[in-house]
Amino acid sequence: MTEYLHFVREYLPYLLGGVPLTLAIWVIALSVGFAIGLGLAWSRVYGGRAAYSIATIYVEIFRGTPVVVQMLFIYLGLPSVGIVFSPFTAAVIAIALNTAAYQAEYFRGSIQSVSPGQMSAAKAQGMTGAQAFRYIVLPQALRRVLPQWSNEAIIELKFTSVAYTIGVIEVTARAYKVGYHTYQFFHIFLLASLIYIVMTTIVSELLWYLEKKVSVPGLGVDVGRPEG
Amino acid sequence: MLSPITASNIWFLIKGLGVALEILAALLTIGFLVGGALAMVQVYAPRKWYIQGPIRVFDRIVRGIPILLLLFTFYFGLSDVLNISPMLASIVALGIRSSAYQAQIFRSALLSVPPGQLSAAKAMGFTRPHAIWTIAIPLAFRYALGPWTNEFSSELKATSLVYVIGVSELTNRASTIISNAGGYILLVFAVTALLYFVVNKTGNSLLYGLEARLRFPGFERAN
Amino acid sequence: MTDVMAATDITKSFGSDQVLRGISMSLKKGETKVLLGPSGSGKSTFLRCINRLTLPDSGRVTLSGVEVTTDNETNMRRRIGFVFQEFNLFMHLTALDNVRVSLVKIKKMPKAEATAKARAVLEKVGLAQKEKSYPAELSGGQQQRVSIARALAMDPELILFDEPTSALDPELTQEVVQVMADLSAEGMTMLVVSHEMGFARAAADELVFMENGVVVETGPPEKLFTAPEAERTRSFLRLLSDGEPAQGPVPTSGARDG
Repeated sequence: MTEYLHFVREYLPYLLGGVPLTLAIWVIALSVGFAIGLGLAWSRVYGGRAAYSIATIYVEIFRGTPVVVQMLFIYLGLPSVGIVFSPFTAAVIAIALNTAAYQAEYFRGSIQSVSPGQMSAAKAQGMTGAQAFRYIVLPQALRRVLPQWSNEAIIELKFTSVAYTIGVIEVTARAYKVGYHTYQFFHIFLLASLIYIVMTTIVSELLWYLEKKVSVPGLGVDVGRPEG
Repeated sequence: MLSPITASNIWFLIKGLGVALEILAALLTIGFLVGGALAMVQVYAPRKWYIQGPIRVFDRIVRGIPILLLLFTFYFGLSDVLNISPMLASIVALGIRSSAYQAQIFRSALLSVPPGQLSAAKAMGFTRPHAIWTIAIPLAFRYALGPWTNEFSSELKATSLVYVIGVSELTNRASTIISNAGGYILLVFAVTALLYFVVNKTGNSLLYGLEARLRFPGFERAN
Repeated sequence: MTDVMAATDITKSFGSDQVLRGISMSLKKGETKVLLGPSGSGKSTFLRCINRLTLPDSGRVTLSGVEVTTDNETNMRRRIGFVFQEFNLFMHLTALDNVRVSLVKIKKMPKAEATAKARAVLEKVGLAQKEKSYPAELSGGQQQRVSIARALAMDPELILFDEPTSALDPELTQEVVQVMADLSAEGMTMLVVSHEMGFARAAADELVFMENGVVVETGPPEKLFTAPEAERTRSFLRLLSDGEPAQGPVPTSGARDG
C-alpha cells in the first residue's frame, strides 16, 4: 500500500497536469455545441422544410456514428482536402459537433414540452415569434432540459479521453505514457480513473446546484399547494 | 496510391464489423442479466444500506470513468493475474459498464409500473415474486424498450474504442487500410461511419418494431 | 364614431368541419358584449379570429377602422387584450413580471416606469401583495386576475375574454367576475365568451347568441332573457339558468383582495 502511495506521489502531479486540457476541451466543446444544438433544435421545431431536413440529417449522422470515427475523420481525413487542425482543435471540433447533435434532441424535446398556451399568450400580448421564443419559451425549455443536459455534459467530459487517440496530451494520454514507461499500467490507470471520478462528481454536484438555483415553483421543483 | 476499394479490403472491414457485433451482443447480454438483477435488487429488495449502498457506489464508479480508461484498467489489471485476451477483456469491461446503465433503465421502468398493479395482484392471491414476474416485468419491459434502444446505440459506438487494447475491430481496420493505401482517408472513414450508421439504424428499426408489436391500447410511455 | 372592432363575414373550417359560417359583429367604444352558445358553436374560434391567433378562412376584421392582416397582426395584438380560459400565465415569471414583461420587452418602457404601472394594475385587480408569487403558487382565481392585469397593462382598446371562468372552481369565479364587472363599468370595450349569467345580465350591453357557426339572435340581456325571439335562444338560456343557482345582478365595487 505504501508502495502505491509512493507511486501516487510521484505521478499524480503529472496526471493532474492534464486536467486543464481536459477541462478546456470540455468547456469549449460544450459551449459551442450548446449554440449549435439550440440552432438545430429551433430548426427542427420552427424551421421550414429545408432547415428541418438539414438539421435532421445532421443529427442523424452525428448521433449514429462513433465519436472516435468523427474525430479521426476531422484530424486525419480533412487534411487531404487542405483543412488542417491541431490535435487540440480537432478534438474540440469533433466533440462540439457530436454534443450538438445530442443537445439538439434534448432541446427539441424540452421546447416541445412547453405548453402551447404559453406561446399563444405571448403572441396575444403582441410579441413577435422571436420575442416569444426568447423571453417565454426558451427560459422554460432550458429549465426543463437541465437534468438531461447535465447528463450529456458529463458524458462529453468523459469523451474528452478519446482525444488521446489523436495525440492530445490530456489525462488519459498521460496515464498511458506513464504506464508505458513504468509498466505499472494498472496502478496508473487506477489513479487516472480516480481523477475522472472526482471530476465527474464535482461537475455533477455543480450542475445539481445550478438546477436548484434556477428552478422556479412549478417548473422543475415540487411546489407547495396553491393557496385558495 | 493504391485504391483501397478492393474486394479484400471491403471484406476485411466487414469482418471487423463482425467482431464489433460479436462484442456488442456479448456485452449487451452481460449487461442485461447483471443490470436486470441489480435493478430488481434496487426496486424490490429491502432498503438496507449494506444492500443498496454498494450498488450505488458501483454505479457511481462505473459511470464516472471514460470507456477508454475502463478498458485500460480492466485489461491491464487482469493481465497481471490472468492471461486474458483483449477481446474477452473488452467484453467483460463493457459488459460491466453496460450493466450499470441497464440497471438504471430497468430500475426506472420497474418504478414506472403503477403500484396499483401489484396491489391488485396481491389481492388476487399472487405471491410477490410471481406477481412481479407475471405483471410487473412484462409492463416494465415495454417501458424499458425506448431507453434500451438508446443504450443499444450507445454500446455499438462504444465498441469502436476497444482497439486501444488491441482488438482488431472495424475502426482499427479502417486505420490499417488507410496506412496501407497511403491515402483515400476521407473515403475510408466515410465508409466506416456508414457501416456503423447502417447497423445502428437497422438495430433501432428492429427495436422500434418490437416496441410497436408489444404495444397495447392505453399504453403510455413513462415520462 | 368608428367601431372599436368590426368583424364582417368571418368563416373558418377545420378540415371538413365548418365552425364559423359567416359571423359579423361590431363593438363601439365602451360596449360590453357577451357571446353565448352551446359548445362547438364557434365562439372561441371567432374570438381567436379577431386577433388572428386563429386565421379566418374569409372575412374581415378591423380595429378602429384599420383592417387586421397578417402583416400588422403583431402590432394590432398590442392593442387588443386577450384573457384565456386556461390563464396561460408565464410560468417562469412572478406575477409582477408577468404583467411587466410586455411593457419592458415590447413597449420598451424604462424598468422603473413599467414596474410602477404593473404594480398599479395588480393593485386594481386586488393582487398587489402577490406580486412576488409565481403562477404555480396562486389559486386559479388569482391567476386569472393576474392574467387580466397582464392584458390591462398594455392599455388595450379592446379586451377579449375566452371563457375566463370555465376552468375555475365555482367558489373562485366571483373574484374574477367582479373584476370584469368593474372594468366594464369603467368603460372598457369588452367581448366576452362566457356562461356567467350574472355577469351577462348586469354588465352586458348586448348578448349575442351563436349556434352552429351562425349568429342566431342578438339583443339586450333583459330582452333575450325574458322575451327572446328565437326558440333556440329560449331553450339554451333556460338550460343555463336551470343549471345554476339564481344569480342576481353583480354590483360594481372597489378592488377586492385575494
